[in-house]
Amino acid sequence: MEFIHLLSLGDQGWGDEMLRATMVTIMVSISAMCIGLFVSIFGTIAKLSKNRLIRAIGNTYTTVVRGIPELLVIYLLYFGFNNAVMSIANSLFGYNQYIELPVFLIAALAVGIISGAYSTEVIRGAFLVVPRGQIEAAKSVGMNKFLVFYRVLIPQVLRYALPGLGNVWQLTLKDTALIMVTGLVEIMRQAHIASGSTYSPFTFYMSAAILYLVLTTASSMALNSAENWANKGVKREKA
Amino acid sequence: MITALKIKNLTKSFGSLDVIKGISLTANQGDVICIIGSSGSGKSTLLRCINLLETPDSGDVWVNEELISMTKNKAGDPCPADYKQVDRIRTKLAMVFQDFNLWTHMTVLQNVIESPIHVQKISKQNAIDRGYDLLKKVGINEKAEQYPSSLSGGQQQRVAIARALAVNPDILLFDEPTSSLDPELVGEVLRVMKSLAKEGRTMIVVTHEMGFAKEVASKVVFLHEGLIEEQGEAKEVFNSPKSERLKQFLASNLEG
Repeated sequence: MEFIHLLSLGDQGWGDEMLRATMVTIMVSISAMCIGLFVSIFGTIAKLSKNRLIRAIGNTYTTVVRGIPELLVIYLLYFGFNNAVMSIANSLFGYNQYIELPVFLIAALAVGIISGAYSTEVIRGAFLVVPRGQIEAAKSVGMNKFLVFYRVLIPQVLRYALPGLGNVWQLTLKDTALIMVTGLVEIMRQAHIASGSTYSPFTFYMSAAILYLVLTTASSMALNSAENWANKGVKREKA
Repeated sequence: MITALKIKNLTKSFGSLDVIKGISLTANQGDVICIIGSSGSGKSTLLRCINLLETPDSGDVWVNEELISMTKNKAGDPCPADYKQVDRIRTKLAMVFQDFNLWTHMTVLQNVIESPIHVQKISKQNAIDRGYDLLKKVGINEKAEQYPSSLSGGQQQRVAIARALAVNPDILLFDEPTSSLDPELVGEVLRVMKSLAKEGRTMIVVTHEMGFAKEVASKVVFLHEGLIEEQGEAKEVFNSPKSERLKQFLASNLEG
């Protein structure tokens, strides 16, 4: 019954720390997903652009970020951001002390940039499967570009992109485990700290696994109902 | 009486392929013009140039005697000078497509009331009332709340016709409206089109249905390799074709 004691709330156990770390994981994941979706709007526009240079920038982004290990992306961004900020501070203000950037921000940005590369591919793919004819039909009844985009394209892109974005979400959620290397205390980091100080690694890594499973299961259930909603008119009802 | 549609010296090419090589055509109000010709003759492209789904390389289009003004973009390619004019004129030229192109994420009724509400800013209740009337007219009002995917091709095409009528167009463009349909479903769509012709609507119809053209068209235009090879009243064109190509085309399309 040792593990109940270890995982209890309060001063003696690590339960409350693990729950707090879970909140951090959720917050980083949501922030990263939002940053990723925001980035993917530009990524999609770039990759579908007629301009060769802009298209090359979009392609470079998705190829590089998807082509190297995520841990490496996180290290590069973590040290890259720090170095960049420090050298800017140095050259502009002559400030040469070490600057510690808010670690949550760096973590969310790093995972967001990874997540954005995958979202870009998903959304670009979804744009390409919306039948051209439906866009032409919208134009033929006088819809302007904005209406075509907002009333016809977006609802259908969402429908086609949702399953893929669900995958990206799960990926993003799990990628946040890698940002323990930056020192942000999320589930993985907390499990690491707790197992180190209690010599019960299995208990804590197992509880971390269960926490991740709870999060991913809950989100795939939410995603299923979102997909059902977005797929109205596709699978439902047979006349 | 004002001219509903006038096309002058229209040309269009895709890359090195000249699809339309200079076509002029006039439709008066109430005309039903059927455009026939073998595939690749440029029929659909001509129709799509009228409402600028394809941008013509040169030539002019007037709708209700209003010229669609064109200009050139930075790359030197022709493009509309005023997109607002194009959007406005398109509601005067509603189009019915070969593949129906209903919006699959909207119900039948939502498809019909979409443009009246969002483009023409008609009140929602008005649009719904009119929408039901139009769906009744094409005989599909009891399916109003269903999604297009649960309808047969013929039913979908009738909804598409109702959607086109909903913007109150002066001219209806039909791009091979029965070519994607199973043979037993062609009749129901043609019946709706015939009743529209009887109402005196101006229609430009690209079609392979020679029976329909013979019965309904006030004018038949035969295209061959991007040019008008022969045109005239339906009776003339079908009963005493002059050009050799039209004779061959009719011989291979009229049986059955």
